[in-house]
Amino acid sequence: MPTRALALILCLLPVAALAAGPALTRGLTPVEPRVPAPDFQLADLDGKRLRLSELRGKAVILNFWATWCPPCRKEMPSMERAWRGIRERGEPIVLIAVNVGEDADTVFGFTARMDLSFPILLDERSEVADRYRRLTGIGTMALPTTFVIDPQRRVAYRAVGGREWDDPALLDPVRALLGGTAPPKAARAAARD
Amino acid sequence: MRHRVAGALLALLCLPGAAAAGGFAVRSGTDPETGLRWWRWQAAGVSVYLAQRLPDQTRAFFLARGFDRASADRVAAACVLQLEIRNLDAHVVEADLRRWRSIGPDGARSLLLRERWEAEWRAAGLPRAQRIAFRWALFPSRVRYGPGDYNWGMIVLGRPPGARVDLALRLAVDGRPLAPVVPDVECAPDVERLR
Repeated sequence: MPTRALALILCLLPVAALAAGPALTRGLTPVEPRVPAPDFQLADLDGKRLRLSELRGKAVILNFWATWCPPCRKEMPSMERAWRGIRERGEPIVLIAVNVGEDADTVFGFTARMDLSFPILLDERSEVADRYRRLTGIGTMALPTTFVIDPQRRVAYRAVGGREWDDPALLDPVRALLGGTAPPKAARAAARD
Repeated sequence: MRHRVAGALLALLCLPGAAAAGGFAVRSGTDPETGLRWWRWQAAGVSVYLAQRLPDQTRAFFLARGFDRASADRVAAACVLQLEIRNLDAHVVEADLRRWRSIGPDGARSLLLRERWEAEWRAAGLPRAQRIAFRWALFPSRVRYGPGDYNWGMIVLGRPPGARVDLALRLAVDGRPLAPVVPDVECAPDVERLR
């Protein structure tokens, strides 16, 4: 009888999964071997320029997004929570959101409502996004896509689609990069959780 | 006898689950708020979700991004659907939209992908800012997802408003090809033209 009950549960699982819909996304995909992260210099909404190579020695979470993209908007609050936690702990991690293809007025109109404190850079001509797009292997990228860059300025992970960025399952592999060696197995395990 | 009855009941209960796991489970419905139709195929750790976009909705989206009226109309009238592909498991999922086909009474047609539009917009002299907006709004022609990855974007079937087609998908999970068909996908009618 226990066998039959187990069989019943197993055969009903797909039905339950269909009814529940897609689960929250958590994983980071290791980029192996790590490739050099293309350097860039972009301005923020105040015109202040930031260059990636100036962040050597820190881990960088580099997010590409647009205001019209619903998953991009959805993950922004979790990025803000993650950024505030990083700053409170004084961790050498930088979170940057690069807006793709929109002008400063459009981006400002959006971020002013969201109360975001992490750096937001403007890639109005999509040149930086296109350089990172070429890193995705088959030459395609959609928004949002996020790259995690290690302190040696190599791309260590990527995530396609929105994430809950304050989830330890995402931030712990980023923190592990600061120790000098990345744990791809740990990241894969987190992805499967 | 009791065992046989219990076994038959179990088999009956298992039928929907088996259909879902068998690779060709398609659900469809209508959004109660918008009245727009949607379709979801889910199996083998992959979910493909399609939803109608009203031509007016698409027209407004591109007009808001600086498109001229004729260019926005050109896209709006070509059957735009919202597509989301999601990797639900610890697999590598690939989708090659160059091999997707919409199958209607007049046969099978390829989707109108980013690359084709880029050539058309360049020939028409559409400004760079609008071409960039368009490229990022459309779903990529090929994608490869790690665990938990997903994408969201528009696809253009190149069919008139109101057309009904079967949509033949091409996916791969860990290199294993899948070729499901989402039946009776309906392009939204052009409300503006009905007025």
